[in-house]
Amino acid sequence: MIDTNLLQLICFYGFAAVTVGAALAVISLKNSVHAVLSLVLAFFSTACIWLLAEAEFLAIALIVVYVGAVMVLFLFVVMMLDIKMEQVREGFIRYLPVGIIVALVMLAEMLALIGVRAMHAHVMGANPATVAGLSNTAWLGEALYSQYLLPFEVAALILTVGVVVAVALTLRHRGDKKHESASEQVRVNPRDRIRVVKMAPSRPDEPTSSEEPLQ
Amino acid sequence: MGEQLLNELVLPVVYILCIAVPLILAVAMFVYWERKVIGWMHVRMGPNKVGPWGLLQAFADVVKLLIKEVILPSSANRFLYYLAPLLALVPAFAAWAVVPFDDRMVLANVNAGLLYLLAMTSLGVYGIILAGWASNSRYALLGAMRSAAQVISYELAMGLSLVCVLVLAGSLNLTDIVHAQAGGKGLFDWFWLPLLPVFIVYFISGVAETNRAPFDVAEGESEIVAGFHVEYSGSAFAIFFLAEYANMILVSFLASIFFLGGWLSPLQGWIHADAPNWVNWIWTGSIIWLLIKAFLMSFLFLWFRATFPRYRYDQIMRLGWKVFIPITIVWVLVAGCMKYFGLVLAGTGA
Amino acid sequence: MITLSHFIVLGAVLFCIAVAGLFINRKNVIVLLMAIELMLLAVNMNFVAFSRFLGDVSGQVFVFFILTVAAAESAIGLAILVLLFRNRSTVNVAEIDSMKG
Repeated sequence: MIDTNLLQLICFYGFAAVTVGAALAVISLKNSVHAVLSLVLAFFSTACIWLLAEAEFLAIALIVVYVGAVMVLFLFVVMMLDIKMEQVREGFIRYLPVGIIVALVMLAEMLALIGVRAMHAHVMGANPATVAGLSNTAWLGEALYSQYLLPFEVAALILTVGVVVAVALTLRHRGDKKHESASEQVRVNPRDRIRVVKMAPSRPDEPTSSEEPLQ
Repeated sequence: MGEQLLNELVLPVVYILCIAVPLILAVAMFVYWERKVIGWMHVRMGPNKVGPWGLLQAFADVVKLLIKEVILPSSANRFLYYLAPLLALVPAFAAWAVVPFDDRMVLANVNAGLLYLLAMTSLGVYGIILAGWASNSRYALLGAMRSAAQVISYELAMGLSLVCVLVLAGSLNLTDIVHAQAGGKGLFDWFWLPLLPVFIVYFISGVAETNRAPFDVAEGESEIVAGFHVEYSGSAFAIFFLAEYANMILVSFLASIFFLGGWLSPLQGWIHADAPNWVNWIWTGSIIWLLIKAFLMSFLFLWFRATFPRYRYDQIMRLGWKVFIPITIVWVLVAGCMKYFGLVLAGTGA
Repeated sequence: MITLSHFIVLGAVLFCIAVAGLFINRKNVIVLLMAIELMLLAVNMNFVAFSRFLGDVSGQVFVFFILTVAAAESAIGLAILVLLFRNRSTVNVAEIDSMKG
């Protein structure tokens, strides 16, 4: 008999280890491309952990939004920019002890504050979506489109603003660049460009004396 | 213990092999078919030397690729260079897990199947980007950059057109989406009719997603040699090749499932007759119909390749962002209205 | 048996790693952006876990909104980064000091 609970726990520890390892790699790797790829790995294994918590929609949304789109943008930018790593890495060793100490103190404080022991009593119960007789996606969707409709619309607005801002920031009109306007091309009237001339057929002129035919 | 092990471990592996092995064979035969069809379109013979009618040409190519040396370019990133082909291949095969071939023939009948497909298709771009970057070659990097921007842009159009499908079907499960297209009017109940513009956008986006002609600027033989896989040879190149063709076949299957009624018969509801099973499938539907539809869709890929000249890069971007995405956004609204006013009786089986 | 504390501890660890990343990579804007993404991920982890264990849908709705806003944030952040690199040819935070009086 394969114990499902034990299997879940093993999976959780495995994915958690990968996530933490990848997160450590993100902040410590020298090469930016490697750091971005570690972040991708962190997102991916987090999605797997969310699947263990039966939050399918968010797990897959995390992969579609972050791994599929945002991290590709990061990679794109990191590859396009010619970054001199030695320069931006200076001070890494100097701040390393401070960073570690702050992180450890913070971790200890957080764990003390939230009371891990009390939380340990919370065992994963029945999936609330299944209890409501829905799939996770439907469960989330019903709340999103009824109770949270206004925030949802605001989020859409924020995304639109984000698109407009990103385009407006990076767009530049250079005088020396030649580019075409598709709408202008479509609007072209053939009569403005080409003139069809009707000509009566005629014989070629008789060769004149100055143009001797070549033998 | 033994029986449980069989059910939970051995059977899934057997099922996976039942999908993966025919898929690899299909890729091999598809490559042969592509060369043959394009040959005919060019008034040439196509491959005709290896085996009867050249049928074994694909296998000869595979053997040739496998016994060639994989060359690592100097100062390439060794780990990422070898990882990239696998990153291209894995999503191309993993996506098949949720594809339903028949009413019951599906590896994983998951609720969020459509989302899973979107996730898998969006992962394929990593193989291309990393191949381009790890090769340490200008041509490869240019190809990777082009491909990354192109795939992200067309993924939006693709995702939005799938939103139209799921609005009408009311489900993210692929089997349910096919069931929602069942009805008494045969092929006129399928989603291609109410979603005609979206169907066209979806398929063209699929062509662009797989970096096929006329959207193959990522490879662009005449400009950047072979783009992202210029430095790859031997079996590493073969894996890229396999991933590309598996993706093409996947897009054909998905277009058939989302818009052409999957395994449903186009004659459904027209013929009511009792016949033995081997005739019955013609109007009750079976996997054979799905294969026929997917074959016709995949033929379009080859037809496009033989017909259209390659788009210029800015034209591709313009088509994606300024034409396809607006069309799909408008059609999401139209599909919503159709559903709301009951113009499409999807899911009722009527 | 997975308990709530498993998720919460993992979230706390991720958050602290991100904070440490902000401290030790003070010069590189790209790593700073990535550390912020990690922080948001840690927060999302807690939201998902609480939503699942308390049976309340609001937590997952919040994660949805955080994903949306974070996507917009990183798109704008990267746009600013590209613009910065174009004008100053550096991503070093210490060198971006033209506002200094």
